[in-house]
Amino acid sequence: MISAVHTLWARAWRGRPPQGWLLLVSLATAILMAAPVLYVGVRALAEDAERWTVLLDERIPALLWNTVSLAAVVGLSAGVLGLSLAWLVARTDLPWRQTLRWLVAIPLAVPPYVGAMTYVVVFGPRGWVSDIVGSTPIDMYSFAGAAFVLSIFTYPYVFLVAGSAVGRMGRAHEDVARSLGLGRFAVLRRVTLPLLRPATGAGIVLVVLYVLSDFGAVALLRYSTLTSAIYYQMGGFDTGAAAILSVVLIALTLVVLGVEASTRRRARFYESSGAAQSPRRIELGRLRWPAFIYVATVFLFAGLMPLMVLGYWTAQGLLIDGLDPRFLQFALNTLQAAGLAAAVAMFLAVPVVYLRSRHASVPAAVIERLAHAGYALPGVIVALGVIFFSLRLAPVVYGTALMLSIAYVIRFLPQAMQSASASLELVSPRIDEAARVAGLRPLGVIVKVISRLIAPGVLAGGALVFVSSAKELPATLLLRPAGFDTLAIRVWVEASDGAYHLAAPPALVMVLLSLLPLKWMLDRFREA
Amino acid sequence: MSGIDLIGVSKSYAGSDRRAVDDVSLSIRPGEIVTLLGPSGCGKTTTLRLIAGFERPDSGSVGLGARVVADSATWVPAEQRGVGMVFQEHALFPHLTVVRNIGFNLRRGDAAKRVAQMLELVGLTGLGDRMPHELSGGQQQRVALARALAHDPVVVLLDEPFSSLDADLRLQMRAEVRRILKDAGATAVVVSHDQHDALAISDTVVVMRDGRIEQVGTPREIYQFPHTRFVAEFVGASNVLHGVMGATGDRVDTALGEIACAHTHGLAGGTNVLLSVRPDSFEIDEDGPVQGTVLSEIYAGTNTDVTMRATTANGQSLDLLIHAHPERALRVGDTIRVRVLPDFVAVIEE
Repeated sequence: MISAVHTLWARAWRGRPPQGWLLLVSLATAILMAAPVLYVGVRALAEDAERWTVLLDERIPALLWNTVSLAAVVGLSAGVLGLSLAWLVARTDLPWRQTLRWLVAIPLAVPPYVGAMTYVVVFGPRGWVSDIVGSTPIDMYSFAGAAFVLSIFTYPYVFLVAGSAVGRMGRAHEDVARSLGLGRFAVLRRVTLPLLRPATGAGIVLVVLYVLSDFGAVALLRYSTLTSAIYYQMGGFDTGAAAILSVVLIALTLVVLGVEASTRRRARFYESSGAAQSPRRIELGRLRWPAFIYVATVFLFAGLMPLMVLGYWTAQGLLIDGLDPRFLQFALNTLQAAGLAAAVAMFLAVPVVYLRSRHASVPAAVIERLAHAGYALPGVIVALGVIFFSLRLAPVVYGTALMLSIAYVIRFLPQAMQSASASLELVSPRIDEAARVAGLRPLGVIVKVISRLIAPGVLAGGALVFVSSAKELPATLLLRPAGFDTLAIRVWVEASDGAYHLAAPPALVMVLLSLLPLKWMLDRFREA
Repeated sequence: MSGIDLIGVSKSYAGSDRRAVDDVSLSIRPGEIVTLLGPSGCGKTTTLRLIAGFERPDSGSVGLGARVVADSATWVPAEQRGVGMVFQEHALFPHLTVVRNIGFNLRRGDAAKRVAQMLELVGLTGLGDRMPHELSGGQQQRVALARALAHDPVVVLLDEPFSSLDADLRLQMRAEVRRILKDAGATAVVVSHDQHDALAISDTVVVMRDGRIEQVGTPREIYQFPHTRFVAEFVGASNVLHGVMGATGDRVDTALGEIACAHTHGLAGGTNVLLSVRPDSFEIDEDGPVQGTVLSEIYAGTNTDVTMRATTANGQSLDLLIHAHPERALRVGDTIRVRVLPDFVAVIEE
C-alpha cells in the first residue's frame, strides 16, 4: 500500500519528486498568491441573486462596452504604432535609428496616469493650448482622449515584443519570397508582416491587459471602465458590488489570457531555427524623411512633451514653494513599501522557479500557475482580495503598511519569477548534479550554487518589482493606512486637485526611477 | 531549364577589402547538378547569392540561359530572374499550409494541378493540408524543393540543403533530392561545406577557396585526382609527399620509393613535384616495398584508419594514414608492409 502511494507520488512528479521543504515553501507561496483573488470570487458568488440581477441589468452592460471598446481601440492603435516603429527602427535606413530606438521606448517609463496628467495640463479645458488658441483640438475628457493617452503610453509593449521578433528574423523567408517573384513591397505585405503577427499579437495582449487594469489614467480623464467602477464601489464601502464587478473583470482578463496562450503556442512555430543571417537593411528612398518625421512625432507626443511638462511644473513648484518639506517622507514611504515587496518577491521567486524548472511536472506547473494568479489582474481586484483576506484571517495586518507590500507581491511576483526563470534556464541541470556529486545536499545546491548563478536575474527581477510597486496606484490608494502617503499617492491627489506644481516633482522622480529598468529591458528584448 | 554562365565575377562587401568572390568564371550546362564546395568564407554562398540576384557583382557578368542578368550595364533583381531557392532551414512560410507554400505566388491557370504534380514529385501526396510545423525535417525539405520547382525555375539554388538533417535522413535525402532534381530536369547549384554531400549529389563539383575556384571536376576526378594540396586535404584525407618526376612521365620518385602515377599533368622528367596519395591507395601486403610500425588504429566499420610510421629510403621516418581492410586486426606496435596502388595517386600543386 505504502509503496503504491510512493509509486503514484513519484509518477506524478515524473520520477523526480522534490524535497519536502521545497514543495512546502512553493506551495505556501502559491496559496498566498492565489487565495485572496479566489476569495473575491467566493465573496461575489455569496452575494444575493438580486444584487447580481440589478448590476447585470443596470451597470455591467455599459461598463463592459466602455471597457471592451477602449481596450480594442487602444490595442489596435498601440499595435500599429509599436509594430511600425519596431520595423522602421530595426530594418530600415531611418536616420538616427539607434538614438530613436531608445527615445521611442521612453513612454514605457511614464506611468499612464502621469501621462494623462500632462495631457490634461496641455490639452485640458483650461490647459496651455486652450489658453493660447482658445479651444482644444481634442476633448481629453472623452473616449477619444482616454484612447489616445493610453495608446501613446502603452505602444512600447508592442514595440519591445515585436521588435525582438524583428531582430530574430533571418533573411531566408524574404529571400525565398523574392526568388518566387515578389517585389519588395509584396514581400513586406505577404511574408514579413505575417511572420511578425504572433509577436505583435503578444504585445497587443499586454496592452489590452494593461488597459483592463488601468485606473489612474481613465479616472483622471473621467472615463468610466470596470476597473474604475470597482474602485469607486470600494470607495463607497460597497464591497459586495465591487466583488461582483471584479468577477466580470476577471472573466474578461481570463478570456484575454486564453487568447494569449493560443497565440504563444502558435508563435513557437514562427521562430526560425538554424544559424539565421540577419536580413538586408531596407532602403526607404524618398520615404526616408517622411518616416523620420513620423517617428519623431510619436516621440514628441509620447516622450518629449510629457517630460517637458513635468520639468516645467517641477521647476515652477520649486520656485513657488520650494520643495514640499513632506517630500522626503513620501519618498521614504515609497522606498519602504516597494522595497519590502521587492525583497519578499526575490525571496519567494527562487523556490517556485526552481521547482518548476528542476522538477518539471504537472504539480509543479500547477503551483507555478497559482503563483501567477495576480499576474495581469487589476490592482483594484488584488486590493479587494487582500482586504477580504486580512479581515478574515489576519486582522492584525489590516490597516497597516504591510498590507500594501503584500498586495504588491501578489501583483508583481510574476515579474520576479520571469526574470529569475530566464536566468535559471541558462544554468544547465548538470550544474546541480555536479554540485550534488561534489557532496552538497539539495538545499545547499540552491543556496550555495544556484542562487549565486542566477543572482543577476533575481536582482533584476527585484528591481522590476520595486519600480512597478513604486508606480502602483489603485491598490495603494485602497490599502494605505491613513496618512501613509507615497509618491504615487501624492501625484494622484495633487493632480486631481489641479495642483500640478505639487504633482510634478514626485511624478518626475517616478519617471526617472522607471528609466533604470528600461535599459535592462531593452537589452533583454534585443537578446531574446 | 537553362545553363548558367559566370564570367570574371568579383564581389567585395562593404567594410571588407578582401574579395568575397574573386574573378570567378564558371559555365554550367542545362540540367547539370553542380556543388560549390569549400570551407566557410570561401565565397560559395556569395556566388550562389550572385546567381540568385540577392547580391550585385562589382565586376564580371552573370548569365542565366541566353539572358545576361547582371553585368556593368544590366541588373535584373531576384524577383525577376525566375530562380528557385532552397535554404538550409527550409524557410517554409509558417502561416501557410503545404499546398499554399508550394503554390506561393504561383500565377497560372493550372496552379492547383501544378501543386498536385509537385506533391507527387516529392512524394508528399496527401499531406497538402498540413502546416509546416506538423512535418518532419525531411518532409519540410521536400516541400521547400517542391515550392522552388513549382515555378518552372530557370535554375534551382540550394544553400546547405542537408546541414539541418541528422545523419540517417541525410543519406536518404541526398539520393532523394538528386532524383527529384533529375526527374524535374533542373539545373541546380548546391552550396555545401560537406564533401560527402558534394560527392553524392553532384554531376560536377567546384571546390572553392578564398573566393577563387580551386578545381572543377566530376566527383570521381575531384577525389581521385585532386589538382592542389588544398583539394587533396579538404576533400577526404591525403598523404602529401615530395618527389621528383621520373623520366618516363608515369612514375614519381619519392621517399617511399618509386610510385606509379597516371595523373601527372604531362610534367617533364626531373621536375620537383608534390604527390597526393589517398589512404585508400595503400594495400597491406607482406611483400610490399614500404615497411613501418602501427602508431594508432581506429576501427571505423567500413575500414580501419591506421597511422603507420614508415621508414624511408634514406632512413628517416614518415607518418602515413592508411585505410586498411576492416577484417584485418591490427595492434599498435605491429610491423606491417604496404604497397602503393596507382588508383588514388595524383601530382598536385602546393
